[in-house]
Amino acid sequence: MMDRREILFVAGAAASSLFVPLPALADAAAGSVVGLRGQCLIERQGHPSPLKMGDAVAVSDTIEVPADGKLKLRMSDGSVISLASGTKMTVAAYQTGAGGQRQNAQLSLGEGLLRAVVSPVDHPSTFEVSTAVGTAAVRSTDWFIEAKSGSAQVGVLTGSVSLTSSATGRAVTIPSRWGARLESGRDPVQARVWSPDEFQAVISRTDVP
Amino acid sequence: MIGKAVAMPCLAILIASAASVGPADAYTASGDRTFPATLILPQIAPGDEFYLNYNMLPLTSHGPGSPDRSNTFTATLGKTITDRLGLYIEESYDGIGRSGAGTQWGWQNIDAAIKYLAVNDIDHEFIMSLGLDRETGGTGTTRIGASPSGATTPQLFFGKGLGDLDVGYLRPFAVTTFSAVQLADTAPRPNVVNNGFSVQYSIPYLESKVQNLELPDLIRGLTPMTEVLFTAPAGRSYGTRATALIAPGVSYAGEGWEFAVEAQLPATRATGSGIGVTAQLHIALDFFFSDSIGKPLFSSQ
Repeated sequence: MMDRREILFVAGAAASSLFVPLPALADAAAGSVVGLRGQCLIERQGHPSPLKMGDAVAVSDTIEVPADGKLKLRMSDGSVISLASGTKMTVAAYQTGAGGQRQNAQLSLGEGLLRAVVSPVDHPSTFEVSTAVGTAAVRSTDWFIEAKSGSAQVGVLTGSVSLTSSATGRAVTIPSRWGARLESGRDPVQARVWSPDEFQAVISRTDVP
Repeated sequence: MIGKAVAMPCLAILIASAASVGPADAYTASGDRTFPATLILPQIAPGDEFYLNYNMLPLTSHGPGSPDRSNTFTATLGKTITDRLGLYIEESYDGIGRSGAGTQWGWQNIDAAIKYLAVNDIDHEFIMSLGLDRETGGTGTTRIGASPSGATTPQLFFGKGLGDLDVGYLRPFAVTTFSAVQLADTAPRPNVVNNGFSVQYSIPYLESKVQNLELPDLIRGLTPMTEVLFTAPAGRSYGTRATALIAPGVSYAGEGWEFAVEAQLPATRATGSGIGVTAQLHIALDFFFSDSIGKPLFSSQ
């Protein structure tokens, strides 16, 4: 049973998809499947269906990766997103300009772990992943975010990420080789250097051949 | 009455003890626990960091011309070689005030240390490290207490946060300990046993792991802590005596930096004669330069 925060999160994700500007809806192919293992599902307009290599992923699609699955997406701006087993993610918004450069990307991570290798752009843009407890925002980076019940954690391989608590509004900056956790209703934990073992654990979980 | 001939070795042991524990001062973390940089005790793990420390302590004067105040400015650079092994180098500039006379300034002996993170149990917020400090004799100014004899100091560190225990608002507490034996190269410098501990209460930990109390921003970054350092000569003392210093204070953590201030309360006459103060600015090079000078020279990552 969902608690109040999870209900708010789902409602927020749904609401944010309603406000996606028309250009993004018109060009709804936010990305495509470039790596696949297991029976991954895509839920579009309430209808779940299995994903295949090369399938398009669009704004407001929800993707579910089973316990024995993994999935890799190449997005329209060149960013690569790898989803670990047991992950559920919604593409809330994904706008790109004429040259394919990202303008606004918003993903909602319900649960599980994803790795995002975010392509650089030469103009102001957003790339955000929201969870039930907070939002992580980046420019250009290779990083991980994992959502669990009541918490989230971020690890950064390159670049930097800002992790903001939904409850308190306070943020922590996470540079490369560092990580931080966030628990429901609280400030982000002070960032710290992650050990190679900690990175290896999330790398292997998101490694899609 | 203790004469100047005895007072100078006492001063030397105070300064040398401070030097032998200094090169490891830095923040470190185990899991969600961040141990802030301590000021008179070493921290407990290697890191990429640079920090500046100021230390003032009134000394017990033993007559005209004898030391009555110590001012020390210290710069320390820490560099990781691997993820668990780090080097430190430190230099201090001292001013020794004298009763009825001017202040004498000079450099302390160059100090270097190597430190190895042996255990880091992130689930239990527990750290154990081993260190080896080497003070190079004759590289400092003897008139301000720098010894012509060097010393080698094996060190042992522990750190433990209470965050894994079901103790409610006591979870932000943490304790660090330090033990070392300073082995002098030659007489008349004595061997010295150093022991110390710190008790810390992390408000950032309270706000992020225990309960959001919506405290003001300034308070959210504070960690009140008290450090205690004991030194005692081992074997022949050459006139030096045991010291005990208690340092209550507070550390403020920003992103990649910390600033801390502590009072220094001497617990024995050999330690000092009044309340001193120490302050420290710590810069985490691994935060600001995480892709260049702030990363280990050799890393599996």
